[in-house]
Amino acid sequence: MLVLAWANLTHHKLRTLLSALAVGIGIMLMLVSRGLAGGSLAEVNERMQSVDAELVVLPAQDNIIFTSGAPFRASHERHLRRVSDERGPLAAAVIPVFFGQVQMAGQQQRLFGVDPEQMELFLGPRRVTAGKLFDRARVFVEQVESGALPPVSGGPLSGSPQAAGAYAEYLADGLELVIDERLRRVGAYGLGDEVQIMGQVFRIVGVVETGVAGRVFAPLQTLREIVVAGEPTASMYFIKLRPDLEPAAAADVFQRQFGADVRVELKSEYGQLLRASFASVNLYMTASSSVALAACFLFILLTVYTMVIEHTRELGILKALGVSRLGLVRLAVVEAVLISAGGVAIGIALAFGARELIVLVKPLLTVDLTAKHFLAAVLIGVLGGALSALYPGYRAARLDPAQALSHE
Amino acid sequence: MNDDLMIDVRGLHHTYTHTGVAEPVLHGIDLQVRRGEFLVVMGPSGCGKTTLLNILGLVLSPTRAAALRLAGREMLGLGDGARTRVRREMIGFVFQRFNLLPTISVRKNVALPLRLRGLAADGQVDRLVDRVGLGGCAHKKPGQLSMGQQQRAAIARAVIGEPALLLADEPTGNLDSANAAGVLELLSDLHRRLGQTVVMITHNEQLAVTADRVLRMCDGRFVD
Repeated sequence: MLVLAWANLTHHKLRTLLSALAVGIGIMLMLVSRGLAGGSLAEVNERMQSVDAELVVLPAQDNIIFTSGAPFRASHERHLRRVSDERGPLAAAVIPVFFGQVQMAGQQQRLFGVDPEQMELFLGPRRVTAGKLFDRARVFVEQVESGALPPVSGGPLSGSPQAAGAYAEYLADGLELVIDERLRRVGAYGLGDEVQIMGQVFRIVGVVETGVAGRVFAPLQTLREIVVAGEPTASMYFIKLRPDLEPAAAADVFQRQFGADVRVELKSEYGQLLRASFASVNLYMTASSSVALAACFLFILLTVYTMVIEHTRELGILKALGVSRLGLVRLAVVEAVLISAGGVAIGIALAFGARELIVLVKPLLTVDLTAKHFLAAVLIGVLGGALSALYPGYRAARLDPAQALSHE
Repeated sequence: MNDDLMIDVRGLHHTYTHTGVAEPVLHGIDLQVRRGEFLVVMGPSGCGKTTLLNILGLVLSPTRAAALRLAGREMLGLGDGARTRVRREMIGFVFQRFNLLPTISVRKNVALPLRLRGLAADGQVDRLVDRVGLGGCAHKKPGQLSMGQQQRAAIARAVIGEPALLLADEPTGNLDSANAAGVLELLSDLHRRLGQTVVMITHNEQLAVTADRVLRMCDGRFVD
């Protein structure tokens, strides 16, 4: 059967190739959409895991990916620091993060506003590869906090000419950015390059190794001045626990203290939360790639069905020679599975090509093509091909050999 | 029941129905063929010869028959699977239009009946291909052969499995006289060597001389 099926397919090379290509495109869509979603989420999760903390505190209503604004007030931060047991406060460090957006290297980046004093908690073992970490001397922050600056309507970063003039001496220390090595490479940035963020011109002062939680960091106080006129708010918190505490139990204590308005999550479960946040996106991608695959397998069905129609006489000969109905179904299935197998191989090759293209166009995206996805592609290809051949196989099996032999 | 009979057909009727119109083609045929006999059936086009051969070869079920026995076994009422097995194990076909599979080589065409029985095919196929004079063309596709060569390949395919019954439907109908004579000689030779029962349809009077017996058909009946 394999010999006959192969002979039939190679007899119609172009048609076979087009059918395999159709399957390949479907398989490629499936692999790339899964790889893109999985790769990006895995990369974000890996970066978040790099923060030296055990808990994440989020607004209850926010999607974990799209956490925005600054819903936490100063009272939240004080409360987080005060949660205690008999041995004292549970938090060894409360790490506020204020999120903003910045357009760099051709795409939107999440801007992490962090306290320069806590930058070490984000870096971990990663090195500063160029320049320095920003405003370690807290010149800008201390000037703002001390009230020593002359009052100007709207605050020091209001963008007004008076503010610019009054604070020029100090602004340079606040308007600094630290970026990661991948963003520097992709955007071809250098130290001292200027980036426009929310009406202010920031300067890149440092580059750190890839793998830190954010690609772009700015001083927390600067973002607060720009966005909420200096109010001590935050978008989320990391909590570094006292070393003797068990994270899950501590998370429960925090959660009970804050009630339903706040989500206290284990940082180790951030990956699961990300996937859950993307469940509907995943469902959409699965549905769209399934539709594409279904269309591809319909193409196989048509191809094999056309072969059955074209080869009616040959099928009659096979029946006359003693090939059973099941044998004819098997012949159709083997042909379809061979097409699908070729399609899977083409699809995997196309997926690698598409990954290269995506990385070329959007270098900061990660497309993760895994062995698990390849295995799924093979299974789907083989099963889909076999199912596609059942109807044409059934038609072949139902042929009347006498009529088939007289078929012109 | 006579164990010496390869074919024992009694009261065989067949009617084709096209768009509701019945067209009777066989009218109560009785036919007995001994094992090893070479029978030629002659008659004009449309007299029912091919229908009879298709029924004997179990590719067509008769509308009505009292008996249809092959090698003493009743074939009436057999299911599709059992009829397929009988075709595979017992019957070889030679068609007027050769009916080789165009996508595979001559050698693979000839080997097909053995493969369908799950038998190894190597030496036996090569010897037979040589014997029918196609040793140099075994790797070619049927479309690359002359008509005479194609028919010899078809005969090799029909006899490779040494079927007890060989059915040949106008095997020389598409051949010129030289090729026809060669094919007939080949069939006669194989019949002598293998001792199969052969039923051959033709309307070439010259081919009938090789037969043990000649029957003539007209309007769905045997005639004197």
